[in-house]
Amino acid sequence: MDFNTEYGVDGEDTGPRVTIRRTNETTIDFMLSSTSLSLANSLRRTMLAEIPTIAVDLVEIEANTSVLADEFLAHRLGLIPLSTRNVEDMIYTRDCTCEEFCDNCAVILRLHAANRNSDENVKVFAKDLFAETVSGQPIQDARYQRNGAVDGLSSSEELPPRGQPVIMDPKGNGSLICQLRRGQELRVRCIAKKGIAKEHAKWAPTAAIGFEYDPHNKLRHTTLWYEGTNAKEEWPESKNKDWEEPAPDGEAFRYDSEPTQFYVNLEGTGVMPPDQILHAGIKTLQQKLATVIQQLSTTTDSGHELNGAAGDAGMGGMSPPDPAANGTAYGNQTAYGGQTPAYAQQTAYGGQTPGYGGAGSAYGGMGGATPYGRSGY
Amino acid sequence: MATDGDHEMADATAGAEANGTSGDFVKEKQRLRLLPGSSDTQASFAFEKEDHTLGNALRYMIMKNPDVEFCGYSIPHPSETVMNLRIQTWDNVSVMDVLKRGLSDLADLCDVVEDKFTAARDDFNDSHPDRVATK
Repeated sequence: MDFNTEYGVDGEDTGPRVTIRRTNETTIDFMLSSTSLSLANSLRRTMLAEIPTIAVDLVEIEANTSVLADEFLAHRLGLIPLSTRNVEDMIYTRDCTCEEFCDNCAVILRLHAANRNSDENVKVFAKDLFAETVSGQPIQDARYQRNGAVDGLSSSEELPPRGQPVIMDPKGNGSLICQLRRGQELRVRCIAKKGIAKEHAKWAPTAAIGFEYDPHNKLRHTTLWYEGTNAKEEWPESKNKDWEEPAPDGEAFRYDSEPTQFYVNLEGTGVMPPDQILHAGIKTLQQKLATVIQQLSTTTDSGHELNGAAGDAGMGGMSPPDPAANGTAYGNQTAYGGQTPAYAQQTAYGGQTPGYGGAGSAYGGMGGATPYGRSGY
Repeated sequence: MATDGDHEMADATAGAEANGTSGDFVKEKQRLRLLPGSSDTQASFAFEKEDHTLGNALRYMIMKNPDVEFCGYSIPHPSETVMNLRIQTWDNVSVMDVLKRGLSDLADLCDVVEDKFTAARDDFNDSHPDRVATK
């Protein structure tokens, strides 16, 4: 029950620590220490799934005589990495006040490729996508003034303008989209929007996150499977083994020690510089907390209105109710009944299960007789 | 039952708008609910659209508070994005205060980690000018 000793008096030495071990344009390898496993894992999960990026979301096919089907092409176009420069200023299309989409919430990319008379296949690359504004004006991009794609990402200023494809190969071609034989043509208009990987993996800014702790298994969080007699002989040693002391042979197992050092290898896809991925991860995590704090304070201000699922009749037979407190709380049902249509309309993650809308309206109607109301507390 | 529900919702819509609970009705999502049977010193919350990312970190931070007798979270079903969090406190400490404190402490922890990372990255850049980690 020592609450504050982790952030002790001399804050510099006892708080969380970061040691960067290796970097390159796409990867940062660092060690995080004196934090909890919960925070390190939450950060890892956020960086993988909840950082907003930009990717093609709608494809209008004007002409496609290639061998690939329309939807096949649309799928591939969605996976093309697009630059996320200034993505914080971009609004989600669903939140934007415009009708359909505008320059604040979308990036339009056009592609027009044809093989008129070449015997060799014409390859359509990501570099052939060119951006334009919603009204059709082409956007001048600084892409072609870049020196070379090899060190194209050593600072976020060198990312192409927002929404333009990220090109990292030495020839400057970008991803191969499709190939066209003589006489085949491809003409599309792509609308790229902001989103997160929870909705679709095309919006993921990370290629992979390597995450390890306790390379010598001193905490016994795992048991190593073995065939013969000795697990240690059969398992290769971790790359991080030199960063921690192995347990001396005769030493007893310390059952109350916690993991404190985490070895993280963060690799981005190139749409965002890796340190920006980490900053965005922390910022997103804090925004989640801020949203919850805000919900907590706006609803507790108006008395016990947080309680929307309670009914006077069916309280679920839980702990002895306090009649005074519950009278006012449960009496305020109408405000919550009114909230439920909003539930059915939420398409924030695109995958709102219909059950939600149904369960939501049941709250307004029947109060405590819902599955959530009776979750066994 | 269907008509009862409709009737209730129709009334409630009018009531909610009359209350003036923010003009933008569609955007007002209730993401945090108090489950029935809760009192001032022990409560269960249901967070919509949250999962282990918030749940585990928040549980860890709340458990560090010495006033907390019990804190745990669960995800009732993986197909529905709901996370339940239960807090029980000693003496007469309010659960809302404990939750608020846990949330703000977690936000502070994130700030500290970010600052340490930025400092470490700047140091690395200074000592390795050839392989600059990005700004």
